[in-house]
Amino acid sequence: MTMISPAVQLKRLVTLVRTEVLVLPSRVIVAMFVLALLGLPLVSQNPYLIRVIILTSVFAILAASWDLLSGFTGQMNFGHALFFGMGAYTSALLNIHFAIPPWGSVPMGALAAVLTGLIVGIPCLRLRGTYLALTTMAFPIILMGIVFALPDLTGGELGISGLQRLSNSLVGNYYIYVVTMLVLSAVMWKITDSHTGIIFHAIREDELAVRASGINTTRYKLMAFCLSGFFAGISGGMYAHYMRIAGPSTLEVSMSFSVVIWAVFGGLATIYGPIAAVFVLFPFLEFVRFWPEYRTMIFAVVVLLILLYMPEGIVHWARDKMEKECPRCKIRNVATRKSCRVCTALLD
Amino acid sequence: MNVRCVVRVCVLVAAAIAVLSVPVWAAAPIKIGIIGPMNFVQGKGHWNGAVMAAEEINAKGGVLVGKERRKIELVKSDSNEFLNLTDATNAMERLITSDKVDFIVGGFRTEAVLAMQDIAMDNKKIFMGAGAAHPELCLRVAKDYKRYKYFFRVTPFNSNYLVRTSFAHMGFVGAILKKELNLPQVKVAIVAEKAVWVDPMIEAAKGVIPKMGMEVVGTWRPSAVATDVTAELSAIQQSGANLIFTVFSSSVGIPFARQAGELKVPAVQVGINVEAQKDGFWEATKGMGNYVFTTNTYIRGVEYNNLTKDFVEGYYKRFGETPTYTADTHTAIKEGLAPSIEAVGSLDADKIVAHLENREYLVPSGKVKYEKDAQGRPTHDLTWGPGYLTSLGGQWQDGKFVGVWPNKWVAAPGAPEVTYKGVVPYKIPPWMKK
Repeated sequence: MTMISPAVQLKRLVTLVRTEVLVLPSRVIVAMFVLALLGLPLVSQNPYLIRVIILTSVFAILAASWDLLSGFTGQMNFGHALFFGMGAYTSALLNIHFAIPPWGSVPMGALAAVLTGLIVGIPCLRLRGTYLALTTMAFPIILMGIVFALPDLTGGELGISGLQRLSNSLVGNYYIYVVTMLVLSAVMWKITDSHTGIIFHAIREDELAVRASGINTTRYKLMAFCLSGFFAGISGGMYAHYMRIAGPSTLEVSMSFSVVIWAVFGGLATIYGPIAAVFVLFPFLEFVRFWPEYRTMIFAVVVLLILLYMPEGIVHWARDKMEKECPRCKIRNVATRKSCRVCTALLD
Repeated sequence: MNVRCVVRVCVLVAAAIAVLSVPVWAAAPIKIGIIGPMNFVQGKGHWNGAVMAAEEINAKGGVLVGKERRKIELVKSDSNEFLNLTDATNAMERLITSDKVDFIVGGFRTEAVLAMQDIAMDNKKIFMGAGAAHPELCLRVAKDYKRYKYFFRVTPFNSNYLVRTSFAHMGFVGAILKKELNLPQVKVAIVAEKAVWVDPMIEAAKGVIPKMGMEVVGTWRPSAVATDVTAELSAIQQSGANLIFTVFSSSVGIPFARQAGELKVPAVQVGINVEAQKDGFWEATKGMGNYVFTTNTYIRGVEYNNLTKDFVEGYYKRFGETPTYTADTHTAIKEGLAPSIEAVGSLDADKIVAHLENREYLVPSGKVKYEKDAQGRPTHDLTWGPGYLTSLGGQWQDGKFVGVWPNKWVAAPGAPEVTYKGVVPYKIPPWMKK
């Protein structure tokens, strides 16, 4: 086995960054965003700021998981809080009643959400569009009914409180949440970029054609429900452990709608769009605390204006302003270029 | 006068102005965070009560901390807790770590207060709960005193006592009905909105009412936001009920009272009707809410002690409405925190906790004494009962909300009789006397 010297490795890394990252503004922004997130505690350890970023990361996973199901596969889910709440409650129950530490309870919560995805997915397979959306919306309400019906187990309206945190240190928690968000986002993006992701996309565009190609769409749709449930379940479990409480608010209709707003605001079928939207909207809602009476109204106006002028989402809009797609090879180029950086075809 | 002399005079004048006018020379204020759903009536009560307390304390020069007087500075924080739990915890974190408040008062929704309580305890900040009634908040203090000792309940007394008070009200009115109408047995209809928090109360009522010598004729559960309850009222009328035990925290309290008045249902309404606690209830029911009885903390004209009148009338004058119980942020600051800060001479949370938990002090709604549990552990929960906090029973009588309970109330055999100043006799609707 030949050893590659550190100098060569570094040179390769520099070349990779120069040829793959620095060539496109969107990639530069993503790289800077990741670096900024990872470097933030070195600049400031303000607990409030750290808290906002941690919760933003949790909701970013949730929003991206919705995009995986509804954005890519077109299975319009208006009850995504079901997976989030399931993850939160399962983690909380395991942590409190069976003393399972968060490292175990969060993945198990995610598995419970996968199971839920399967249970929800099966009856939903026959439904489409509005009917599917309305049906999915009912599921978190059903789970909330169960929560209230079993107060000895679920804590009823109080929820389950006193959960352990993933880490007792401020910075430790920050890195656990941020790195998990980055890794899970990358995994979700990779899934959508894979063979499976292409089938998901195809199901959304024309399910009949996919079935005519001999692909078992039922299996893929169920897979989408389960995968989405898994990631949303992780975010639910992490949320519960950070807040140290899993309560009925995790299942509220407003939670499901927030996810849809984030995803649409960022741009559907992108994964990074909903993540960007959460990183814009969640801190923005905190920023407008200076005007508490009009906070929600300002938020609503901003969302409406953005969607009015950027109907495909903020990420698509920003990307189209900064970059152009080559008409011949479909490779993206910086908007100032006259010819494609790969095939040299004229861009205008 | 030479130039040097002029310069000296100018320097001296400038220095004098700087010493006298620049606030940096004054003692730093005591920062108190007021957290609550500020866009809702509960949060407005939190804020108004605190504003009044701060104004009264500051008018007297502030709180004496050691040798210096320090003014109260309030920081308003909208928890948005009815709509978003995450928002509530962020607001709490911001108050403590960015606004750097010394104390926090407020909170309403129990699930949110539990989460906010943890953040305050992490930072060892005294958090005075002024809205959530669930016992769990104070059970945490007993279970893990070292961590949760910084939490105190200010208002209301816990939900177990709220239930007990409602039953006392029902017993009070039931006895009057039995005597005045010569009834062999009072028949009770339980009408409670469809809400989870009500369920245990209904079960308790079903068990307690027969023990009080009354009969339960049925239970009705209209939606919390129902606008028409004539079906329920007809059924109640058919059941022969003389007393309707109401449990309403939402808007259904208005149509229920209005339609019962329109139909002249021969049964009195007693219990909890949050809408009936509001000054606008008479107009909202177009006068049909006459004779409705509900529990309340403050009623104009009724005095628990010599602090009540000043507070209630002062609040009414300042804000144009009768204070609700969340306005007891006033109590928390003026009668709770300020005297304890002065007594210990510092803002040290541990010293204040040790002082506050052992105090007994008058507040406009009675007397505060923090309870201990059966094992003698401090719970920082409020003591309920004669001589302490009892709340009031109020009845709408011809456009005016008046206090009717406690009136010669004996909480237990051998206990002293309790009647508050300003309480008037309970009135039975005239159509029931026919």
